[in-house]
Amino acid sequence: MKTMGTENADHANFPQRPAASPFASSSQSTTPFLSSGPVVGSEAFAFRPAPPNAPQTTPSAPQTTRPYLASGLMVGSEASGPTPQFFSTAQAPPPRTSPPGQPVFPPPIRAPAGHVPSPPVYLHPQPQISYGLMGSPPQSINYVPSGRNVLPPSSDSLFSAPRSTLQPLQSAFPGYSSKPSNVVTQPTPVQSTPVFSHQGGYGPPPPATSTPFLAHQRGYVPPPPVATPPAVYSREQMQHQGSGLPMGAVQGLTEDFSSLSLASVPGSLDPGLDSKVLPRPLDGDVKPKSVSEMYPLNCNSRYLRLTTSAIPNSQSLTSRWHLPLGAVVCPLAEAPDGEEVPIVNFATTGIIRCRRCRAYVNPYVTFTDGGRKFRCNICALLNDVPGDYFAQLDASGARIDLNERPELTKGSVDFIAPAEYMVRPPMPPLYFFVIDVSISAVGSGMLEVVAQTIKSCLDRLPGFPRTQIGFITFDNSIHFYNMKSSLTQPQMMVVSDLDDIFVPLPDDLLVNLSESRSVVDAFLDSLPSMFQDNVNVESAFGPAIKAAFMVMNQRGGKMLIFQNTLPSLGVGRLRLRGDDFRVYGTDKEHTLRIPEDPFYKQMAADCTKYQIAVNVYALSDKYTDIASLGTLAKYTGGQINYYQSFQSSIHKEKLRHELARDLTRETAWESVLRIRCGKGVRFTSYHGNFMLRSTDLIALPAVDCDKAYAMQMSLEETLLTTPTVYFQVALLYTSSSGERRIRVHTAAAPVVSDLGEMYRQADTGAIISLFCRLAIEKTLSYKLEEARSLIQQRIVKAFREYRNLYAVQHRLGGKMIYPEPLKFLPLYGLALCKSIPLRGGYADAQLDERCAAGHTMMTLPVKNLLKLLYPNLVRVDEYLRQASSKLDEFNISRLPVTAESLDSRGLYIYDDGLRFVIWFGKMLPPDIAMSLLGEDFATDFSRVLNLLCYLEGYCSGSQLSA
Amino acid sequence: MVKLTMLARVTDGLPLAEGLDDGRDWQDAELYKQQIKALFKNLSRGQNEPSRMSVETGPYIFHAPSMDFNALLTQVLSYIIEGRVCYLTMCDRAYPKKLAFQYLEDLKNEFERVNGSQIETAARPYAFIKFDTFIQKTKKLYQDTRTQRNISKLNDELYEVHQIMTRNVQEVLGVGEKLDQVSQMSSRLTSESRMYADKARDLNRQALIRKWAPVAIVIGVVILLFWVRKKIW
Repeated sequence: MKTMGTENADHANFPQRPAASPFASSSQSTTPFLSSGPVVGSEAFAFRPAPPNAPQTTPSAPQTTRPYLASGLMVGSEASGPTPQFFSTAQAPPPRTSPPGQPVFPPPIRAPAGHVPSPPVYLHPQPQISYGLMGSPPQSINYVPSGRNVLPPSSDSLFSAPRSTLQPLQSAFPGYSSKPSNVVTQPTPVQSTPVFSHQGGYGPPPPATSTPFLAHQRGYVPPPPVATPPAVYSREQMQHQGSGLPMGAVQGLTEDFSSLSLASVPGSLDPGLDSKVLPRPLDGDVKPKSVSEMYPLNCNSRYLRLTTSAIPNSQSLTSRWHLPLGAVVCPLAEAPDGEEVPIVNFATTGIIRCRRCRAYVNPYVTFTDGGRKFRCNICALLNDVPGDYFAQLDASGARIDLNERPELTKGSVDFIAPAEYMVRPPMPPLYFFVIDVSISAVGSGMLEVVAQTIKSCLDRLPGFPRTQIGFITFDNSIHFYNMKSSLTQPQMMVVSDLDDIFVPLPDDLLVNLSESRSVVDAFLDSLPSMFQDNVNVESAFGPAIKAAFMVMNQRGGKMLIFQNTLPSLGVGRLRLRGDDFRVYGTDKEHTLRIPEDPFYKQMAADCTKYQIAVNVYALSDKYTDIASLGTLAKYTGGQINYYQSFQSSIHKEKLRHELARDLTRETAWESVLRIRCGKGVRFTSYHGNFMLRSTDLIALPAVDCDKAYAMQMSLEETLLTTPTVYFQVALLYTSSSGERRIRVHTAAAPVVSDLGEMYRQADTGAIISLFCRLAIEKTLSYKLEEARSLIQQRIVKAFREYRNLYAVQHRLGGKMIYPEPLKFLPLYGLALCKSIPLRGGYADAQLDERCAAGHTMMTLPVKNLLKLLYPNLVRVDEYLRQASSKLDEFNISRLPVTAESLDSRGLYIYDDGLRFVIWFGKMLPPDIAMSLLGEDFATDFSRVLNLLCYLEGYCSGSQLSA
Repeated sequence: MVKLTMLARVTDGLPLAEGLDDGRDWQDAELYKQQIKALFKNLSRGQNEPSRMSVETGPYIFHAPSMDFNALLTQVLSYIIEGRVCYLTMCDRAYPKKLAFQYLEDLKNEFERVNGSQIETAARPYAFIKFDTFIQKTKKLYQDTRTQRNISKLNDELYEVHQIMTRNVQEVLGVGEKLDQVSQMSSRLTSESRMYADKARDLNRQALIRKWAPVAIVIGVVILLFWVRKKIW
């Protein structure tokens, strides 16, 4: 609720403060005020900028603010009385402290209602009341349409003279406060649960509530001279509007699901869909809770998420679940401190696995026969327990050594792999850089940024002291560098024969970083100047990759390619296929999005075979055929980073940040991933950046925490008889420290026969992630519209199915109903359709941008994808103002990403996980802009970047950005 | 030249370290590696092998090659066992044996200096994989036999390698099998002889019974007759 906060900051010296004094003096109201702790009150006081010219307000100020803060603390407590379920707008997360600007209106109403523990949402009714003031008809409440008309544009100007507008109100108060208090307590048609209260139908406020409103109006009517106050309120209303909407008489079904009315319901005054009542995922990714409670031994949902945690027991049920059925796996997701995956070493016994299905021992296996046998939970085979692993069972059938065995108590474990799991000794972490040095690479400043960033990351590369490093640069020839540790300067060797590439030196092209550190440093220092005067416009991209492959193929590792010019020489040469608008909308449209030259796919296959992962940094200012280049990353488990027309002045920080993250994050090498599941269920397709080695073995030359893989499953048998299905993800990998490990995640999900249960256990994040991958894959062979309609149709079908389940029994004529976990599905579905890879037609996104974004979204874990689809938007100007004193109270609340949330007097930060945008309002107070940007802020943006880094650090520290 | 280097714990054959990118660039590497693993297993069985030995291993070719050809392809596995660690390297047959053992000595000294105390506690394979950088470095020193350094080492008589046995890999690996067979046979013999003794005793008893039973019956009958006659009269 930043917006309101700032408003208040703007006219901090609201004259209403005196209005509070009557209450302070009245006996009934003071008590509740005092009940709120004094600490809170003082904090609130500190929070407020002291009004300079209204000294008399200050003493009363703490008092007025207290109740609000107190109410914030009392969040969740039930409001008294028959308060109908009420649609509070979702913008307000519970713990916010209500901004001090709010109290302006509340006191009149609130104070009498003071005996009710009041949630912050209390603030909502006021606008309506005051609105009634303007709109005169005593029918109350439904002023929404007219409220919209008066919306923001006017509000800005209004704030210029806030004091005068509020004056009349003040005069109204005495008359008002003289009203008997019992009447006034009633106007609390307020949703008490600060939870985003979509559950719970929208009940109309009981008739009783309208009376107080009328009473208020009577109180207020006398001073209508100024027309402005309503407008001020209408702004408030714009934010909270909808809170009072009666949505038809559906109070009964608060438990089952939420509903949303899309058309006006006969008999209600609802004018139609109001954008404010739409659910908005302002808490980011909400993880499904119920299953982890039901199966506490499951691995954390950050590693494995099922699209629904209730597996259908028959194929007919599956066909009525129109959303994808599958899982999203992020095997190396970053665990918060204290929750690291335990490491288990079966040194002598060897790893305990099921004889038939090869599943690893996990918390769900059951030991029988006095501990001599165990039953595999995946395939139900009875296995012998090896002698070394034997332990007695206690009376309850649990092993007596259970507490010393993390693999039997935790859903995620790392097993130390014995020698049988190695085809070769664990490889060292290896980074090989292939850098374009053609004229545009030098001109755009890319070379310099890359060299600097790599140099700054050298100390943080994982795997010291075994880390290996090497470089190749290319323009129309290929340059190798001898980095032998005994040299002082690297030796450059130029190979210009592009048709028959050879490696000029058998070794020393790839060197141990700790030994050759000084040579590497010298190389990176001189790299930008070396090619300063290069005027070469050609790019021997394909041959350079081939050369890098030849250098690397004995060891594997990560190949980072920095590409700035369309490949024009040697193998893998690409044409300017361009972005032909005539093709759009025809059947040939998709050909632009698939690779043109088979060389890239072949190269990628070879790389995977030799454990080489390719990351492509494309920085071209012209068309560069990401569709083809991306293939390299797609089949090797790599990633694409695309910077449209890179200019170091603009994209420097982004490139630096992403490259540094790429180089320094914990990476697993030469890995394979397999997911196993119980009988009757089968994984049918896999989606993400990898190569399938056999039907179900995913080969991943390099994996890190930012990569997730999705898979779809289907039922094999007609009827599942087991009560539970188990899933097990196993990733065999080499850690950067040179240990071979197997990471095993196990999860259980119940089998259900009820379709409604499936929908109730659904996981929007996983569904969207899977949808995203399916749709992007569809764009590779169909038109964009078809990919979009795939998503839309399936979502619509799913909701229709769910409605058919319940509509009859609840007589929900024209309403859309949805289970709680799916409330954000339509929103994310829409966001997905509007995302870069899928949106619009020819003109809406450049082809390269589309392809690059598509590749990125194919790899993102659920959380990052949701953030990309529905970014964080926060207003920061008032926090900047207070930053000096109140840094620790830096609790930013997210705003809905709508044009309406943007106030032209604000400073906003928009963060989708890949970009960080600072939005300066047109009417941002100059002092803020000045302090951020310096005097001549029109020209100098470098300080913004500093600020950006600072904020980024801060946000990642708090859980907000998480 | 040195082609492959491996370190393993003798007690259980657990690999401890291996040279970096050994054996990706020449064919049959996998076969040789398997042989080496078999050799380690053999050693871990605790047969009394000399602590320094060279083992010749040929290419797996069934048709007999000419002598020269064989000499070219034959590899020599040299190993030393010290402090429960087996240091093994594989080189061409043409590579001076002396240098190979010098190389292994170097590795041994460094490895014992760095990791000596942790050898027993290592629980996972390749626990000392970090040692590969040293292996890589040392290997380069020994790559070329004609460098001044190596020539002087060759001429150095301090290190005596003449008495180190050279045997064929088939022999070495075969020894174990034969011994196994012998012990198996002897154990079978023991159990069989025991059975035989039991049976013999049984037969003895039966023979005894058969020999004396009629006499005993006759005597018994006579005594009975006497007794009956006494009673009647």
